[in-house]
Amino acid sequence: MRLLRELSRRKLRTTLTVIGITIGIWALVVFSSMANQINGLVGMGTEFYADKIVVTDGEAFGSSPMRLTEADTIAALDDVAAVEPKIEFLWEPDPPVGFSTPHLVSGIVPGADAGHETFDLELATGRLLTAEDEGNVVVLGATVARKHGLVAGDSVEIRGEAFDVVGTLQPTLASPDITGLIPLATAQVIYLGDLPPLVAESLEAHEVVSQIVVYPTEGSDFAAVASAIEASVENSATMTGAEFNESVGATTGIFTAVIIGVATVSLFVGGLSVINTMAMSVAERTREIGIKRAIGGSRGRIIRELVAEAAVIGLIGGLVGLALGATVVVVANELGRASGNVLFDLTPATAAFAVGFSTILGMLAGIVPAWTAARLDPVSALRYE
Amino acid sequence: MTLVEGTNLRKTYRLSRRTSVEALRGVDITIGAGEMVAIMGPSGSGKSTLMHILGLLHAPDRSDGPMPGLRIGGTDATTLSDRERTRIRAQWMGFVFQSFNLVPTLTAAENVALAAEYAGMARGKAQSAAREALASVGLADRAAHRPMELSGGEQQRVAIARALVTEPKVILGDEPTGNLDSTRSVEVLAMLRKFNRERGQTFILVTHDPEVGAACDRIIRMRDGLVASDERVADVRAVAA
Repeated sequence: MRLLRELSRRKLRTTLTVIGITIGIWALVVFSSMANQINGLVGMGTEFYADKIVVTDGEAFGSSPMRLTEADTIAALDDVAAVEPKIEFLWEPDPPVGFSTPHLVSGIVPGADAGHETFDLELATGRLLTAEDEGNVVVLGATVARKHGLVAGDSVEIRGEAFDVVGTLQPTLASPDITGLIPLATAQVIYLGDLPPLVAESLEAHEVVSQIVVYPTEGSDFAAVASAIEASVENSATMTGAEFNESVGATTGIFTAVIIGVATVSLFVGGLSVINTMAMSVAERTREIGIKRAIGGSRGRIIRELVAEAAVIGLIGGLVGLALGATVVVVANELGRASGNVLFDLTPATAAFAVGFSTILGMLAGIVPAWTAARLDPVSALRYE
Repeated sequence: MTLVEGTNLRKTYRLSRRTSVEALRGVDITIGAGEMVAIMGPSGSGKSTLMHILGLLHAPDRSDGPMPGLRIGGTDATTLSDRERTRIRAQWMGFVFQSFNLVPTLTAAENVALAAEYAGMARGKAQSAAREALASVGLADRAAHRPMELSGGEQQRVAIARALVTEPKVILGDEPTGNLDSTRSVEVLAMLRKFNRERGQTFILVTHDPEVGAACDRIIRMRDGLVASDERVADVRAVAA
């Protein structure tokens, strides 16, 4: 208590130092939350790809069509438990350029995964698609539903056609949020229309898909299955969980490293600012330290007082930085939610780490000046003006 | 009974590589319990250095000459570690300085309680002891004020309360009236005298001020790092008369 009062009686200096720490911790909280979110998404991607192989056309990065018959070819291969043909295309053919992720339409065959898909979708309103559904019916992801303000029973326009909304989904913080699910046959017609005329001419709507999701039997060698698929289907490209981790994991690993680097630099600067302030504080209080030593304050006690003071500065800076960081995270997430851009995930572990780290940083920064102070000769310190 | 006994006290301060000052050149001093002693002398005579050594703030030189001896209340204080000297300062000694030297961010009561805590008192006990000490110097109503809200005389009385709160055997004063006008000086001196008489505490006061000397039992005059004279005040008065 006396310590807090002492700090409060040196308002300007305490405030300036707290601000220094606050900025560092603020950066740490915001950047770590961003890293958490990215790691979460990657984790979800890893989970998504863990039990399947996604097959696309090998040319033009999967933007060319595949044939539905190729799904049968793959289904006949060894160790393939289920195949799920799919079509994915953009909700708007020319989405506005911006920060937000464009919404998608996904044509699916309900039940084709034969129960192998482990990524559960939960309903907010209405029902999921069934194998009997045909024509213009759609189940909307949470973000899409919110954007248009729709629930089951409403109607929505996709590519100039009216669709009946039969259901809406709970938020998943992943791609289903920005996707509208429609029956494959309905999607095939729209998809064909999107293809360049030269390609489209030679195809019939009912024979095109954009990707085939393959569920190998449990315990089989996914890489071997992937090779078998590529060998039997001309021009096909496969992506397994391991490959996803390799490509995406490496990228996000670098990103996380950069983020942590930035946060560390901010903290380093914050820590230097505590050292600077504590050193200045010791110089400013040379005389006071001399008094305390002369009237019987031990070196250990002087060190404890100053280190505790530095720790409290660190703690306050940590709490304020956490509060500011949390504000940024909450506000940015609220603003981003409408467009499906949830950028931050502030976990309790991150919050606790930020405050704990800041306190320890303060203490460490206080040790050297405190040690210097305790070594002062009380007589010269008393003469110090 | 002897409270403080110093023999062969020497101290050379090295100011730079080539220049050094021989502040004390071999002082023998004995101060009895309950005495009130003034150490007087011109600037540079070594009186402050002597006080710093008697107050265990500096150690006497032990090289290049006869071994010094320093006993405080029967304890050999010549070769104590910093920790032990600090403990003796906290429990046995009180300090009053010319420029009051209160901690500016603490209230009067907190300043006084701090010394009590350093001496090992628990916080609650230290606080009540601080209130008592402030009352004994007539500042009970100023306990919650910070030093800058107090006059010079009041600040020095807080410093005296701080020096007395641990009920030390010896109180060392470095020009305790140096920053006070004559009225306040007389007040402070009367107060010190009163504690000396009532509680039998020993006072060692370094001073320029003849008034302070006159209020003491004994005057030790220093010159060029040596004791020049050591007289009872009654004798001084007799000679003057």
